Amino acid sequence: MAESQAADLNAPVVGMDYHMHVQYHEVLCPVMREFADALMDKRLIGHKCPQCGLIYSPPKGYCPICVVPTDKSHELELQQRGTVTNYTIVTPVQYHGQEETDRFAKASLQLDGGGTLSLQDLLEIPVDDVRIGLRVEAVWASDAERNVDEVTNRSWGIGESAIRGWQPTGEPDVPADELPTNVF
Amino acid sequence: MSSQPAAVIGIGQTKHKKRRDDVSLPGLVREAAQRALDDAELTWKDIDAVVLGKAPDPFEGVMMPELSMADALGANGKPMMRVHTAGSVGGSTALVATHLVQTGVHDRVLTVAYEKQAEGNAQWGLAGGRSGGMGAGGIFAPWMRSYIKQSGAPEDIGWKVAVKDRLNACKNPYAHLQLKDITIEAVKESPVIWDPIHFHESCPSSDGAVAMVLTNEKGAKKAPRKPAWVLATAMRSELGVFPGRNNVRPQAGVECAHMIYDQAGITNPREQIDMAELYVPFSWYEPMWLEGHDIAGPGEGWQMVADGSTEIDGSFPVNASGGVLSTNPIGASGMIRFAEAALQVRGEAGEHQVKDAHVALAQAYGGSAQYFAMWLVGDELDAVAKKK
Repeated sequence: MAESQAADLNAPVVGMDYHMHVQYHEVLCPVMREFADALMDKRLIGHKCPQCGLIYSPPKGYCPICVVPTDKSHELELQQRGTVTNYTIVTPVQYHGQEETDRFAKASLQLDGGGTLSLQDLLEIPVDDVRIGLRVEAVWASDAERNVDEVTNRSWGIGESAIRGWQPTGEPDVPADELPTNVF
Repeated sequence: MSSQPAAVIGIGQTKHKKRRDDVSLPGLVREAAQRALDDAELTWKDIDAVVLGKAPDPFEGVMMPELSMADALGANGKPMMRVHTAGSVGGSTALVATHLVQTGVHDRVLTVAYEKQAEGNAQWGLAGGRSGGMGAGGIFAPWMRSYIKQSGAPEDIGWKVAVKDRLNACKNPYAHLQLKDITIEAVKESPVIWDPIHFHESCPSSDGAVAMVLTNEKGAKKAPRKPAWVLATAMRSELGVFPGRNNVRPQAGVECAHMIYDQAGITNPREQIDMAELYVPFSWYEPMWLEGHDIAGPGEGWQMVADGSTEIDGSFPVNASGGVLSTNPIGASGMIRFAEAALQVRGEAGEHQVKDAHVALAQAYGGSAQYFAMWLVGDELDAVAKKK
């Protein structure tokens, strides 16, 4: 170190922002690959546990509660309509890369015929009108735009790049007491 | 199971702040560790092994910091271990250190946990660098709504917890937020960040570290200050997302608490435990954990808040330190709970000391409220039996 720099050791520490970017290529495990391929075909699939009957979407390849494996024979196609069972309205924090500026809703859904989804975007509805019991249907990204880049092995949901979100169907709300209370 | 007693004989923490520009990451952890050693009147040479914990590495963007920090933590040539259990990590890290002593692997273990949130962005980290991240509050908000709905609690319960913890923090010189003028009205009027959670019902982002020295019975007898004896330890986890999961009262949290009660011979936690440091990053988690750990019956957790039982001079004080609502260096937050419980039974909590604290519970949770770590500490090895 040059002497002139050494003399400045007592100077205040100066910080600077540095935005690091590391690109990982993650190989999807077989069940997530099947789930991602189905999304590209505008299908939503899950696995139904042969023991307890719970439906996992995305599928896991096992039921973690019964500890039994599941495979293609337990696959079923989920309906693309459902009901909002819980939600939050987020005021976005402006971190680097955040493109959201307005409040937005994330909802948990109970799909008709079984299956649940978490952290879904709601479209075509003002955030202040979001409520438990609201009936919604999937809005797929167009064929040209649709991709599954956001599907990872640890995915909780579906990326917005496949299903853009869920819009109200216009049907009457489902009364809250007819909905399960513990749906994510 | 044959296991030997373990005790906390040294506790150190940094002053928690929004930014600690005056120290590097290694400087921050060393500050807490040096204070723990000073408290135990030991030197770096006396330590056999180091156990380090922090929240996920993308929060600061420094990967595997345990490697580069070995020098600052005096661990060159010594066993060093890193623990990963998301937000509960501070608690799990202290438990790993405890188990190294209880099993006789080491005599004196230094355990340290930290986060320097100002050097990164936790929401960026949680969102994997993508837009549309909602932060931890976004995950927990719907479950808090479920609790409110199921329990029928009035909406001011969350505001009350927020005020209580901030006023307790004013009695704790290490606490980050010092909001002596906070009022119910101010909490209620603050912006809603994650509906139904207001800004003042949420934890801050902090820079800070905490450290403890754990040793066996022989080491504790030689300690210069009163030791805090570890009476019970438990870690439990469950899958974070599955259909039908009870998000308000996760089974892993119930079982973790009962493992502690069973080990310590506790049949009535509310009567036999004198105070608790619970991981409450959002106000509603105080009544949720009181019920989720069977300290209160179903629907009674919010009543303990309403009737003042959880105040510092109440019958079951919760978060006398000001809690995570006042100080949140994420990776350290769990261990601060554990260290504060130990401070209480040593009678060294200063202005935020709870009267007659002989048995104290500490809890940390993480992930999607799926990882739990707890310990029960006492001023004597038979502290629970003595209370009968």
